Amino acid sequence: MKRLLALIALAGFILLPLLQAVILSFTATLPDGDVAQGSIGLMNYARVLQSPDLRAAIGNSMAYVLLNVALCLVAGLPAAYALARFRFVGDRHFLLLILVFRVTPPVVLSLPIFILFARLGLVNSPVGIALVHALFNLPVAIWILESFIRAVPRAFDETAFLDGHSVPSFFFRHLIPVIAPGIGVAAFFCFIFSWVEVVFARILTVTAGKPITVAISAMFGFQTDIGMVMAMTCLSLVPGVGMIWLVRNHISRGFIVRGSSDP
Amino acid sequence: MQRWSDNRVWLMLAPAICVLGIVGALPLLAVINYGFHDIFSLAEVHWVGIDWYRDILQSDRFAASFGRSLLFATLALAIQVPLGIAVALLLVGCGRRAVWGLMLCALPLVVPWNMIPMLWLGLIDPQTGLLGPGLASLGFDYKFTAWHTWALILTMDTWHWLGLVVVLAYAGLVSVPPAYHQAAAIDGASRWAVFRHIELPSISGALAIVFLLRFVDSFMIYTEAFSINAGGPDDATRFLSIELGEEIKGFSYGQAAARATLYFLIVLIAVWAFVLATRRKDPS
Repeated sequence: MKRLLALIALAGFILLPLLQAVILSFTATLPDGDVAQGSIGLMNYARVLQSPDLRAAIGNSMAYVLLNVALCLVAGLPAAYALARFRFVGDRHFLLLILVFRVTPPVVLSLPIFILFARLGLVNSPVGIALVHALFNLPVAIWILESFIRAVPRAFDETAFLDGHSVPSFFFRHLIPVIAPGIGVAAFFCFIFSWVEVVFARILTVTAGKPITVAISAMFGFQTDIGMVMAMTCLSLVPGVGMIWLVRNHISRGFIVRGSSDP
Repeated sequence: MQRWSDNRVWLMLAPAICVLGIVGALPLLAVINYGFHDIFSLAEVHWVGIDWYRDILQSDRFAASFGRSLLFATLALAIQVPLGIAVALLLVGCGRRAVWGLMLCALPLVVPWNMIPMLWLGLIDPQTGLLGPGLASLGFDYKFTAWHTWALILTMDTWHWLGLVVVLAYAGLVSVPPAYHQAAAIDGASRWAVFRHIELPSISGALAIVFLLRFVDSFMIYTEAFSINAGGPDDATRFLSIELGEEIKGFSYGQAAARATLYFLIVLIAVWAFVLATRRKDPS
């Protein structure tokens, strides 16, 4: 009974702000032509989907988030394998390095990153944001993949190599299928942390390529249509909720971070 | 597990190192360099040595913001870590249905950061919010009463990040072998003893990283805190990163870079403390 009450309190706490957003998203908060203020309906969603800017923002966000996930998995998987299976000079320093980069606040690096990326021609492009989000996502991907690879016995690798598999063929035919849940969890965390990030996404999109987060901020003005803002917010939750559903049975494994210590 | 020894595996780290070099190491070196200069424009740069650092460290505002950020991070950890462990214990007791609780707790993690303050401001809006009229009748006023603003930001931050603590603590708790619980039951161990001697050690690794991530992220809170009250009322929620944001917006790049370097050093100290703490736990 006590447990049930605690769970209800938890659900209330988490769902209440979201419930508020959902209610507002179905409410006409500004009078608009023949739609009376306060009436309920899908008009906010219809207006979001009719707006070319907002549609483009959804596409831009998707583009850099997917690029970022791909980049983190491609660069992270070999690194995670090396850390899980090998002892080498500097392995502990590398672990320390990725930990430091993961916790460096974006606002600290925002200025030089803007100048550097302007020189490289990566401003206003999804490639730039995907690259810079790797600063905090690549470490997370490496930690998660490493803990999943460690759970696979080493004999698994040895058998495959004795069978004459090369390293790339071992990765694609054996390792990736076995740690598929780990790849799912790593993709999940990279996806959500890139999707919700604001500071880098804002400074790297000056004139074009605006992502969802910036598009939502831009909707605030003299007379803000808060219903439309909330409709956009609710739409922005859909991909993340879908990702939670996909990895629901593996998310509970979490991830373990080895500091620079060496168990 | 014994690992193979081979220095050629650095090749496997090469892609990761290239990426982190471009987006991490290069900008970091640049920011340290800017911190020693007065920058009018990229063409007009003067060496000023450690002047910026002296100005910042001697100013009362820095000390005050530092104190506020430290207090905020301490409160955030004191609330979120015990609460997250309690929720994880609650979910472990639910067996297979726990996955629904985990999905629920993970929900706030997928909300864009700049929308989290909007959700909460909408919720407590005195006219239209679900909680607004009730709170207003109690005299709640986040705009002008400092501790109300603090309470709002802390509640919002807890809402946002509780899921991460819960997921990582839950992962540690389910890894406890059932035999340990059976042995404790035979010995007649109290609930507290089970938690203190069996469950807490098994989540200590996960908790170490939770402490580090939550400490740094709440110490450097920016997007969410700024949108609630822009550092007000009367600078009561002016945290470290809000000052940095103001300097960047004010084109005071040299000073902003010096400040950013200082903040990076604070983060380094936190990481160093984390490494020391985890090293003591697994003697090797």
